[in-house]
Amino acid sequence: MESRPWNKAKAIGIPLIAVAVIFPLFGPPVYFISFLFTIFIYMTMANSWNYIGGYAGYLSFGHVAFLGIGAYTTALAADAYNLGPVATILMSIPSGLVAAAAAIIVGYPALRLRGPYFAVITLCFAFVIQLAVKNLQFTGGADGVWLPSMDAPIEVSRTIMYELMLLLVALSTITSIYISKSKFGAGLRAIKEDEEVAQTMAINAPWLKIQAFALSAFFPGMAGGFYAYYLTYIHPDMVFDVNMSILIVLMALFGGAGTWLGPLLGAGILTIVNEGLSTFVKAEWARIIYGTLFIIVIIFLPNGIMEFFTKRRRSLRTTGERKQNDSMDD
Amino acid sequence: MNTTLILQSLISGIMMGSVYALLGVGFSLTWGVMKVINISHAAFGLIGSFIAYSALKYFKIDPILSLALTLPFLFLVACLTYKLLIAPITRAKAVIVSSMILTFGLAIILENLMLLMWGPDPRLLTTSYTNKVVIIGPLYFQYPRVIGFLLSFIAIIAIYLFLKKTLTGKAVRAAWQQPDAAQLYGINLNRISMITFAIAVSSAGMGGVGMAYLYSFEPHAHNFWLINLFLVVIVGGVGNVFGAAVAGLLIGVITGLSMAFLPYQWVNLVTFGLLMVVLVIRPEGLFQSEV
Repeated sequence: MESRPWNKAKAIGIPLIAVAVIFPLFGPPVYFISFLFTIFIYMTMANSWNYIGGYAGYLSFGHVAFLGIGAYTTALAADAYNLGPVATILMSIPSGLVAAAAAIIVGYPALRLRGPYFAVITLCFAFVIQLAVKNLQFTGGADGVWLPSMDAPIEVSRTIMYELMLLLVALSTITSIYISKSKFGAGLRAIKEDEEVAQTMAINAPWLKIQAFALSAFFPGMAGGFYAYYLTYIHPDMVFDVNMSILIVLMALFGGAGTWLGPLLGAGILTIVNEGLSTFVKAEWARIIYGTLFIIVIIFLPNGIMEFFTKRRRSLRTTGERKQNDSMDD
Repeated sequence: MNTTLILQSLISGIMMGSVYALLGVGFSLTWGVMKVINISHAAFGLIGSFIAYSALKYFKIDPILSLALTLPFLFLVACLTYKLLIAPITRAKAVIVSSMILTFGLAIILENLMLLMWGPDPRLLTTSYTNKVVIIGPLYFQYPRVIGFLLSFIAIIAIYLFLKKTLTGKAVRAAWQQPDAAQLYGINLNRISMITFAIAVSSAGMGGVGMAYLYSFEPHAHNFWLINLFLVVIVGGVGNVFGAAVAGLLIGVITGLSMAFLPYQWVNLVTFGLLMVVLVIRPEGLFQSEV
C-alpha cells in the first residue's frame, strides 16, 4: 500500500520518460522539440507550485516571479562573465538557489496571510519584481538582456535544452512524490485542512510552509535559467508574464492540486489545448473557449480531473461494499 | 514644492479615488456577503464603459443617460450569472478559491467578447464638455472628473442607504453577519445572494462609466483596475461600504500625489508596494469588517 505511488510512477513514468529522452534522436522537426520544451516548462512550474499551493493550500499567484528571477540570474551572469555553454547551464543551479532565497524573504511575512490575502500578496510581489527589473539599470531595464549563444546548430542546441528541461520535470516530479508520501507532506496536508489544529498537534506550521515555499521556488528558478539560455534573449515582459502565473495555478487545479500526477496532466492537457485552439480558432474565440474551460472545471470537477478517476474507483468500491452488506442483511 | 501643485494633485486624486471606491464597494459586498471574490467585477465595469462609449458615438446619448440601459442590462446579466455559475459553487467548502478561478474564466470570456465587439484600440469618451473646466482661484476642475466624482458619490450613498434603511438591505446585512440565524428568520439566502451580486455588478457598471470619464480604456484595462479594487477592499475592510469609500479616496490621493512627484513608471510600484505593506501590517484592513 505504502509504495503504491512509487510503483504506479515507475510503471507509467519510466517508459514515458524513456520515449521522451530518445524522441529527439529520430530527428523530428524543431517545432515539436520547442513545443515539448514549452510543455516541460509548464510541467515543472505546475509541479513546483503544487508543493505550496496543492499540498499546503497556499495559492501563490506570483510563481512566475521565481522563473523570472532564475532567468535574470543566469542571463546577467552569462552576460557579465561571457560564460560558455557548460557554465551557463550549471549557472541554473545558483539561479534556483537565488529564487529559493527570494521565496524565503517574501515568504517570511507573506506566509502568515491566508487564502485570498496570500494570493494577492504573491501576485503583487510578481508585479513589483517585474516593474523593478524593467526600471533598474543593472538588470538591463526595458531593453532586456542578451546571452552569449550556444555555438551549435539549432537542432542540437534545442535538443540539449529539451533534455535538460525533461530532467527538471523528472526531478520535480520525484520531489512531488516524495512529499506526498513523507511526514513533511502529511504536515503540509494538515496545514491545508486546519492550520490551528495542526499547530496544536505540534506541527511547526511556519517552518514547514517556508520550506515548501522555498522548494517550490527552486525548480522554477532553475527552469528560468534554462529558459533564458533557450531563448538567448530575455525581456521582463517575457519571463515575468503574469498570465503565466495564473495559468500555472489553473493547470494544477485543472489536473488536481495536492496529487503528484494532477499538475503534470493539467500542464500537458492545457498546453496542448491552448496550442490547438490558437492554431485552429481565431485568437479571441480560442480565449473564450479557454475561459469556459475553467468555469466547467470548477463547477463540475472542483477538485480537478484526477478526482474523476479516483471518485469513480471509490464509488465502485463502495457499491461493492454495499452489495456485500445487503447480502449479509438477507 | 508649491502648494497649488499639491492641492491640485490632491483634488484629482480624490476624484480618481471616488471612482475606485465605487468599483470597490460592489467588489467588497460580494466578497463579504457571499464569500465570492469576483475577479470579473472590473470586466463587468468595463462593459458599462463600452456601452457608454457606443451610446455616445452612435446615438449621441450622454454617458450618464446610457446608465438607464446599462444598469438593467447588467442587473439581468448578473442574475443569470448568479443562477448559472455562482449558485452551484456557493455550497462548496473552498468557495473563495473556486469563485476566484471561476470568475477569472468569466473575466477572460468577457474581455474577449469586448475585443470581438469593440477591438483592441484605446477609447476615450469625448463629450461636448470634455475640455471644459471650472476655475476656482488657482485650482481648476475638469468637467468629466467632476461628473465622475458626483456619480460615484451619489451611487455610494445610495448603496449605503439601501443597506441601512431598506428591508432587503437589512436582510443582506443579516445574511453577512449571521447566515444561519438569518435563515431561521425566514430570509432566503439564495435570493439575497442573487440581489447582492446583481447590485454589485450594476454598481460596477456605474463605476465603469466613471472610469471612462477619467481615463482611456480598452478591453484589457480591467486587469489593472482589479489590482486597485483589491487595494480598496483590503485597506477598507472586506464587506465594509464606508471603509471602501474612505480607502478609495485614500488610494486616489496617494496615487495622485505620486503621479505628481514620481516618474510615471514608478507610480504602479507605489500602488503594489502599498498593498503589500498593508497586507503584512493589517490584513484585516484599516477599518472594521462589516456591512
